[in-house]
Amino acid sequence: MLDQVSISLPCKSEYVSITRLSSSVIANQMGFDIEAIEDIKVAVGEACNNAIIHSHCEATFDITFQVMDQAFVCEVRDGGNGFNLNEYQEPNLSDPQGNGLGIFIMKSLMDEVIVDTLPGKGTKITLKKFLE
Amino acid sequence: MSLEISKRFDEEKSLWDIQLVGDVDIQSSSHLKEEINGMLNQVETDLTIDCANLSYIDSTGLGVLIGVLKRVKLVEKEITIVNAQNNIKKLLNITGLDKIFKIK
Repeated sequence: MLDQVSISLPCKSEYVSITRLSSSVIANQMGFDIEAIEDIKVAVGEACNNAIIHSHCEATFDITFQVMDQAFVCEVRDGGNGFNLNEYQEPNLSDPQGNGLGIFIMKSLMDEVIVDTLPGKGTKITLKKFLE
Repeated sequence: MSLEISKRFDEEKSLWDIQLVGDVDIQSSSHLKEEINGMLNQVETDLTIDCANLSYIDSTGLGVLIGVLKRVKLVEKEITIVNAQNNIKKLLNITGLDKIFKIK
């Protein structure tokens, strides 16, 4: 790992844009192209949305950006409720409901997505995108 | 960036013409939902959403659009999304929403 940037933010929707902006600046400095930067920005925003909407974190959530030699990594951790990943259902694209889109979007845009969560234990989402 | 919503009822075409400027995200999506539902409470008809100056939308914003589409479909109306930037088109594509909205 070359560099690490850590941010702790209140569990409020108005702070999510800070993480999006931070991720796009870091990805740009790493040399990602415009489309990849946009992918990263959206995925990071969705991971933060998850902390606030689904995990119901109460105080703060933590974001860590890792600048790797050939990859951008973002971890979003919250101490909220967590959720049962086994109950997650990918959206039915022929009849979208609006639920479950966030994880689906993250997985579609990033090279690796790891969701580590348990009810009552909070959630950690790890996003990784490789430099081409 | 915040969200600005411009709305106009096109009497000739009998549709709502909406322009979105900025970001539809976790902070602004509830405002968008209230605005559109308020418009549909006045006249429940087709909507055209101009996204030329919409720079960002996330799953909460897409969820709002899906909910509104379900509402207008009940009265056989539709939503047309026009002038979407490539990043918005990509999201509509990967989520399959380009199949249920009219995209121009």
